[in-house]
Amino acid sequence: MGILEIIIITFVKILIIVTMMLLSVSYLVYFERKISAWTQNRVGPNRVGYAGLLQPFADVFKLLLKEDIVPDAANKPIHTLAPIMALVIAFGTYAVIPIGPAVELFGYNIQLVVADVNIGILYVLALTSIGVYAITFSGWSSGSKYSLLGGVRSSAQMISYEISMGFSVAGVLLFSESLRPLDIVASQSGWMWNAIVQPIGFITFVVSAFAETNRLPFDLPEAEPELVGGYHTEYSSMKFAAFFLAEYANMIIASALIVTLYLGGWQVPYIEMAGLSAGLTALIQVGAFFVKMGALLFFFIWVRWSLPRFRYDQLMSLGWKVMFPLSLVNLIWVAVLVMLFN
Amino acid sequence: MDITIQDYLNILPLIIIAAGILISVVIEMYAKNSEKILPWFSIVIFFSAGYYALFTVNSQSVLFSNMIVTGGTANIFFFLFCFGAAIVSLLSIDYLKKAGIYFGEYYILLQSAVLGMMLLANARDLVMIFIGLEQMSIPFYVLAGFNRKKHFSNEAALKYFLLGAFATGFIVFGMGLIYGSVGSMSIDAIMTKFGDVSTNAVFIIGVLLFIIGFSFKIAAFPFHMWVPDVYQGSPTTVTAIMSTGGKAAAFSALFIALSPFFGDVSFNIFKPFLSALAVLSMLFGSIVAIAQTDIKRMLAYSSISHAGYMLIGVTSGLASGTAGVIFYLAAYTFMNLGAFGIVSMLEGENDTNLKIDDYINLGKKNPLIAGLLSIFMFALSGLPPFAGFFGKYYVFISAIESGMTWLAIVGVISSVISVYFYLRLVVLMYFKEGNEGINPTVSNTALLGVVIAALIVILIGLFPGSIIELISTFVI
Amino acid sequence: MNIYDLIFYLFATITVLSALAVVSTKNIIYSAYNLMLTFFGVAGLYVLLGADFLAIVQLIVYVGGILILILFGVMLTNKVNGMPIHTEVTNIIPASITIGLFAGIVLAFFMNTNWKSVTTEFPATTIQSLGKLLMNEYILIFELLGVLLLIALIGAASIARKQ
Repeated sequence: MGILEIIIITFVKILIIVTMMLLSVSYLVYFERKISAWTQNRVGPNRVGYAGLLQPFADVFKLLLKEDIVPDAANKPIHTLAPIMALVIAFGTYAVIPIGPAVELFGYNIQLVVADVNIGILYVLALTSIGVYAITFSGWSSGSKYSLLGGVRSSAQMISYEISMGFSVAGVLLFSESLRPLDIVASQSGWMWNAIVQPIGFITFVVSAFAETNRLPFDLPEAEPELVGGYHTEYSSMKFAAFFLAEYANMIIASALIVTLYLGGWQVPYIEMAGLSAGLTALIQVGAFFVKMGALLFFFIWVRWSLPRFRYDQLMSLGWKVMFPLSLVNLIWVAVLVMLFN
Repeated sequence: MDITIQDYLNILPLIIIAAGILISVVIEMYAKNSEKILPWFSIVIFFSAGYYALFTVNSQSVLFSNMIVTGGTANIFFFLFCFGAAIVSLLSIDYLKKAGIYFGEYYILLQSAVLGMMLLANARDLVMIFIGLEQMSIPFYVLAGFNRKKHFSNEAALKYFLLGAFATGFIVFGMGLIYGSVGSMSIDAIMTKFGDVSTNAVFIIGVLLFIIGFSFKIAAFPFHMWVPDVYQGSPTTVTAIMSTGGKAAAFSALFIALSPFFGDVSFNIFKPFLSALAVLSMLFGSIVAIAQTDIKRMLAYSSISHAGYMLIGVTSGLASGTAGVIFYLAAYTFMNLGAFGIVSMLEGENDTNLKIDDYINLGKKNPLIAGLLSIFMFALSGLPPFAGFFGKYYVFISAIESGMTWLAIVGVISSVISVYFYLRLVVLMYFKEGNEGINPTVSNTALLGVVIAALIVILIGLFPGSIIELISTFVI
Repeated sequence: MNIYDLIFYLFATITVLSALAVVSTKNIIYSAYNLMLTFFGVAGLYVLLGADFLAIVQLIVYVGGILILILFGVMLTNKVNGMPIHTEVTNIIPASITIGLFAGIVLAFFMNTNWKSVTTEFPATTIQSLGKLLMNEYILIFELLGVLLLIALIGAASIARKQ
């Protein structure tokens, strides 16, 4: 493959991923509203299109056409920069997550991942840690106390939970002996999903992922009763939409990451015994990836509409006194396993 | 790389202290009265590590792929640090209560500072020196500001932290230049490559930066500005270990880093620089100390001048100079610990009883304390037959051997000046008419610590020959 | 000039310009933002040197950890009295002279050093060899750094305690 072909293929991959992300984000919002309606015994959006299916587009147009208000006290350049950062980082993370096995398409052997990086998992962790900046900057630059408090809360929260997140991932890496997402998926062949081998790490990672995406029960940065709207109180129109998109994109990425790290990625256990053709197998595997992801996304929404919000000190003590030691216990457990069976 | 049982036995002092830190953290966490248990626990830790180090002084080895050495001078330094810290723990028990900072963390930080000093003393690699330095300095920064209610203590901590970080910057930059010219951080590699790089400007500037950084830590003259304020503001027991163990550790690291040069012609490049540091520190410390009215400040300036005397031994670039400085450090550690110990015993609440005038008539009110303090003052001023005299003697001899008689003469002049302010205290204690001065309350544990220090000072003074012989066998 | 040279100059420009902005801007938040760009540029240079692990750790530690702490401190102190803190750029002339001298020395070293250039294969990944080094040759340092960090934590907690 020449350099030109590589560039073209990569561009196509990026295009597909971004389009998919944008679509799924808008429909995730729709599903969130529908599921919340079911949970609360309501109807939910049902006016735009059949069963409200066109509601996302209506929402997007509404946001696009609104007036963009920048408060007087705001710091304009950073106020504008923050939502862009949030969106770019949210979409950038997806580059290293594989959605399926290598496939033969038009005579090329194509990996179903945008960038096959050796240090993929660290790349994800690094981008997550940069994600804090978007929220911190937006909180600071708005020149409002609610925004500032939201920003401070979220940076403290994200830094705290990054630690248990990192240690949970370390357990996975001990098994895969590689930081490459493809190797991590390969190390979970058969029933050896990491969620089964290291359940404690799975739980700590999922909880940390909730905290990192600022979802309930950890949505302190935007706790409406206390902070109006948290870090995006002072945003309107497209900038607000960008934060909104980023939040849901982060949710999708968190689920994709959980699937890759703990639920065997795109693998379907023992599918090679079924004797299907290579193309069909690949199709089923890609489908399996999205099914797992969808289940996790449903879980995210389900939790949001079922559990109450934590208090701030409870959140911190949960992060430092429960999740962090638990992830260490998991690391030791995995190390013992590796020592015994290798 | 295989690690044998013998290797673990060789670094047992390090392991004891490191394990002690971790156990202390657990004790601090779960025990209700941890501040009562921890001092005795740390004394046991220090004593066992120090005793073991002295016991195995002959088993010399190089370990962990040339990272550290054990045995020899390293173990002598281990002994110094551990016994010094044990005495400080004894002093601290009642002092902390008096100062209202009765917390267990104090001993954890003390232990980790000692671990850092030990790493500095047995390093064989620049990276190791750096880690030892940080391991020693970070607890010191915290300990200097341990009395958070006092503004002076906070000021001391901040000053020490900022200037210490600055000095560390110099050291790291120097290490970078050395690494750039040699291509390795290991002292052995520097030794083997020494012929190629000894005239290289990058290398020489690197070494000079390294020396400057450590001059901060040993409190030599142009880099001394933090010393009086930090020594005065810190809790007295912290000052005691900072001015003795910390200084000895910095000197040991300086020896390790400079050892490739010793006996080499190119050492002459550094001689003017080092001798300037030595002369300025001696004279400045001795002269300014005369004007002090606060005893902690006086001892701080005396500490600057002692750094100058010891630098004479470094300047000589001879094995006898190194041995002399190690001897000097051993003597200085215990006599300064004793002096600060007595100051901490007599100190009242809220920084009272720290003026030199408060010591008037101590000889009548508490003859024991006054007698001990006199011993330490005689030793610090370098009067025979106490330990300080022989320390200065060996150091000056090495200067003469290396053809720098003038340096020894300046040293003698400075010693004569310093006799004035040391002996003034003795005069005030015994020969002042009237009934002013304080009525001290004496703590028994602290007294025990001071008596031990005095015994060691006398012992070193009685048998200087055999001690210097022991040290000389390990200094090449 | 091949594509790698171009990328190198891109990252080098980002690093130098943003570093200049860090010291010259008057708003401390802009400084922090530009510092982030500096770290990014350096991380990019590391990638070009084949040090992938170092690059990503640079991002995680400096951008994700240290800089966010700086921002945190600024955010909590910035508008305390209703007045934003502005850093001042003073002593420009002495600073320029010192920096000029320093740059001259560095440049002199750079010109006079006998650089060795070695052509080697890029290692596919540096993580495994780094891990082996850390667990063998540098095991002692690795362990001791753990103790050092623990002590730093205890020290910070001790400074920040209530009584």
